[in-house]
Amino acid sequence: MGTPNAVGDWSSEMEVSAFRRLFPLRYYERHLSESIRPDARPLKRARDTIVSLGAVASSDGSALAKIGSTTMLAAIKMEVMTPSVDSPDEGSVAVEFHMPPICSPVVRPGRPAEVAPVTSKQLFDCLLSSGMIDLKELSLIKGKAAWMAYLDIYCLDADGALFDAALLSAVAAFSHLRIPVVSLNDEGRMVMVSKELEGEKLDKEPVDKERRKLSLKSIPFSLTCILHKNYILADPTFEEESIMETFITVVLNSSGQLVSLYKSGGPVLAHTSAIQECVALTRQRMKELEEIIDEAISTMEID
Amino acid sequence: MNGLSLGEKLFVQGGIAQDLRSDGRKRLTYRPIYVETGVIPQANGSARVRMGGTDVIASVKAEIGRPSPLQPNKGKVSIYVDCSPTAAPVFEGRGAEELSTELSVALQRCLLGGKSGAGAGIDLSSLIVVEGKVCWDLYIDGLVVSSDGNLLDALGAAIKAALSNTGIPRVHVAAEASGEDQPELDISDEEFLQFDTSEVPVIVTLTKVGRHYIVDATLDEESEMSSALSVSINRKGLICGLTKRGGAGLDPSVVLDMISVAKHVSEQLTDRLDSEISAAEAVEEE
Amino acid sequence: MAGGASATAPSTYSPSPNQKKKPPLFKDGDLDWVRPDGREFHQCRPAFFRTGAVNAAAGSAYAEFGNTKVIVSVFGPRESKKAMMYSDMGRLNCNVSYTTFATAVRGQVLDQKESSSMLHKALEGAIRLETFPKTTVDVFALVLESGGSDLPVVISCASLALADAGIMLYDLVTAVSVSCLGPNLVIDPISEEESYQDGSLMITCMPSRYEVTQLTITGEWSSARINEAMQLCLDACSKLGKVMRSCLKEAASASEES
Repeated sequence: MGTPNAVGDWSSEMEVSAFRRLFPLRYYERHLSESIRPDARPLKRARDTIVSLGAVASSDGSALAKIGSTTMLAAIKMEVMTPSVDSPDEGSVAVEFHMPPICSPVVRPGRPAEVAPVTSKQLFDCLLSSGMIDLKELSLIKGKAAWMAYLDIYCLDADGALFDAALLSAVAAFSHLRIPVVSLNDEGRMVMVSKELEGEKLDKEPVDKERRKLSLKSIPFSLTCILHKNYILADPTFEEESIMETFITVVLNSSGQLVSLYKSGGPVLAHTSAIQECVALTRQRMKELEEIIDEAISTMEID
Repeated sequence: MNGLSLGEKLFVQGGIAQDLRSDGRKRLTYRPIYVETGVIPQANGSARVRMGGTDVIASVKAEIGRPSPLQPNKGKVSIYVDCSPTAAPVFEGRGAEELSTELSVALQRCLLGGKSGAGAGIDLSSLIVVEGKVCWDLYIDGLVVSSDGNLLDALGAAIKAALSNTGIPRVHVAAEASGEDQPELDISDEEFLQFDTSEVPVIVTLTKVGRHYIVDATLDEESEMSSALSVSINRKGLICGLTKRGGAGLDPSVVLDMISVAKHVSEQLTDRLDSEISAAEAVEEE
Repeated sequence: MAGGASATAPSTYSPSPNQKKKPPLFKDGDLDWVRPDGREFHQCRPAFFRTGAVNAAAGSAYAEFGNTKVIVSVFGPRESKKAMMYSDMGRLNCNVSYTTFATAVRGQVLDQKESSSMLHKALEGAIRLETFPKTTVDVFALVLESGGSDLPVVISCASLALADAGIMLYDLVTAVSVSCLGPNLVIDPISEEESYQDGSLMITCMPSRYEVTQLTITGEWSSARINEAMQLCLDACSKLGKVMRSCLKEAASASEES
């Protein structure tokens, strides 16, 4: 019953949707041989991508990123901490990636998804090692107080390429971030300077003059590709990820340097040429994403 | 689940329709209530309430704590209910978790009042020792020992009895501390302050079976219910909390009618409970 | 803030505005006070609903009432988890969670267990459980931002998501709460109003059948006041029901065209 010939015979009689569910791999390979994917994309094209800034009013910086139907909501909350002794003039960043049960049928409440902590760590590494954020900019008073940026990313809809979407939303949230204006009170704690008082003469000098932006340098962008036989599929959907199991995620920063490269095993062993191709695809994708982010920033500034 | 046969079900329903329930009660009659106070010597206050086959214990433990910065002039009260596996086989393991949470939430809603403290059975500001620094934390624990329906009313009554049995040690502030330090305390082990429990509401659950509602339903009767309304009512006849159980929808006019019936029933229940509690305390003192 | 540099101070803190005491929202007997967002006492926030927010789910809906934003996904009917006993009725499983940035202070713990059980109780009476025996329908809600009246918004949004998933319902479930602030009843309260409230009343109902599926009251109420508050909520529920119905119709006609 499971022999390839039998499948071939059935395929002419079966409804397409039934065939897709019963023999997903054959269904895909049939498409790939025609250089097209079931969602009508060429193999190496990423899905439509949207970024909108300022989605969460209660945060200091936030962004919503959508790649196809994969949706990520990232928000940053700034809190004050005492900097560590090793680096008294640096702030800190904490990244948490959440997969709430709403995002996918495979996540159930009470049992967090396994990939969530792994992705959190990968995102943290990428954001810091890319050199995008200068932690010294998060310092308030050397050795006394510094900012801790809590970045929380929620996956609202999981349809593949979660890391790419999460990184994009994180980067966008940082570009939307405005650091609150604070001043030191009598008890040695930082307090927010309320909006009404901003611009007026204060009895205590605020640490910053105005709501400050971070100067972001060399922003990281990523692209995940699937390797299957000789094919390379950029920006996979959930269905593609569950059928074909070898991924490569390339992260480049905006100066074109390689930030990181993940290939977590999988049945396909990649040739160097395939990896080079993935890097080249990421470089193209980076240009698209840069434009999308720039556009999101400029629309926000017009508003 | 109570495995009733079709005949038994009809018997229960028919009895309720004719205002003569299986155990001979009328629709709005409670089973006899037995109250015992001071059953747990280690607790600051405790009580056991029995109504037919339903047997519950409530205990109150007071500990010195810190008021929350959001409400510096109030103490804290937490209510938690546990269902003993001896009460029913389904309560074994995590089986009772859902019911325990439901009862805990319902009791909190019925006894602790609104956010600002209006309608609370326990005056939280009476628990404060030093504003913003020291307060009493009350831990109220309910235990269901045996269950034959109407757990919420029984637990409400047990908590009321336990609170009136509670003595909170008098605290003398030895040295008024300045600034951030915690003041030094001298907790008396002889002088106790009593609670004023006249404001603690009673809970009346009306269970709707067919077109009629009954009070103090047994387990058999509860298995035939379409929905139930638990109303907590204080001595002034004001409603301090309300929860609905059971999925079936109710017409708004029925809800209002049930509330007014509950109010009527609560007057008798409050009086009866108060006399039972004072009788129990008299026995304990002997 | 009480206890500035105490030993139990967390390693990080939120630099909250320097206010020793918040001014009360209104003073007793002050009849001229206005609600912080300028609404009238008996006026709800504008409601926005959209179905199909999450593609991975069988049905989903997004709701936005002022600053309160929630997403609800429905999965199933699918296999019941945990070696459950045979049941010829379907099961309903509900879960409500909050994002860490939902509240003003990061990670403020809100009672998610209570909300989950309230959501379950509000919905179960409206679902035709007998239409999916042996299986479970999962209703998961995520509160993106908490701006007050969270639970009523979650409940209304969940019933819309159930309808979007094609689960058989007797009627949509709409929910509205009122807060009691001194002598006034304010409908659809925001977080600030909720934190000052003397009492609250929440109704969830099926507007077309005119049936109450869930009702909770806290605080001290007289019967007449309960009557008044219920009437207020029921009127608002039926209006909300119309908004939700038109949202479903729009979604249906949009999918027909494409």
